[in-house]
Amino acid sequence: MFKVTSPLFSGLLWKIPWRISQPQKARQRKRLRSVDKVVDTINAALSRNGTKARSVDRWYREMPREEEMLPKDKYTIFDKKEKTYRKGIHKLPKWTRVSQRVNPPGF
Amino acid sequence: MSYFRVTLVRSAIGLPRRTTDVLKALGLKKRMVTVFHPVSPSVAGQIMKVKELVDVREVDRRLTKQEIHLERKPDPGYYIEQTAETEWGANRSY
Repeated sequence: MFKVTSPLFSGLLWKIPWRISQPQKARQRKRLRSVDKVVDTINAALSRNGTKARSVDRWYREMPREEEMLPKDKYTIFDKKEKTYRKGIHKLPKWTRVSQRVNPPGF
Repeated sequence: MSYFRVTLVRSAIGLPRRTTDVLKALGLKKRMVTVFHPVSPSVAGQIMKVKELVDVREVDRRLTKQEIHLERKPDPGYYIEQTAETEWGANRSY
């Protein structure tokens, strides 16, 4: 049944829901873990060869792991324009392929 | 000497130009392509640039394209019958 709604009836208009859904959250956790796994693999391989990489060390120094992160940081990001200073992480462009884990200082 | 086995799992469409360039430098042109690189800090840095897009494993040797293809080949679902005589002969030979 066709319903006249703004996204369907008024040209280019995309609507991103306010809330992130449960399956999206589950997939987000899975992606976070997969990135952790990639970094761990690289680090293990390098240490076995007796070398280090600056980017890997920096990742371990600055980024929390998936299990260390708060749900707040997993599913929302800082936004200065929001009343609560947080918005859903799914509003971040390319959010499934970027690493966004830490907040600006003080938030 | 070990190698990184890098597979491009997610495409870099719409990501910054530099990401695509790093993938090209690693030899990853399309999704599900697998490449092998010796373990070294410079390769590690390259992989770190695209860590969200790839699957990485450490392996002992490079596999050929043929071997990677055979890994994905499904079981044929049949086997070719032999006469008892040939089977016995084959078993006897070693």
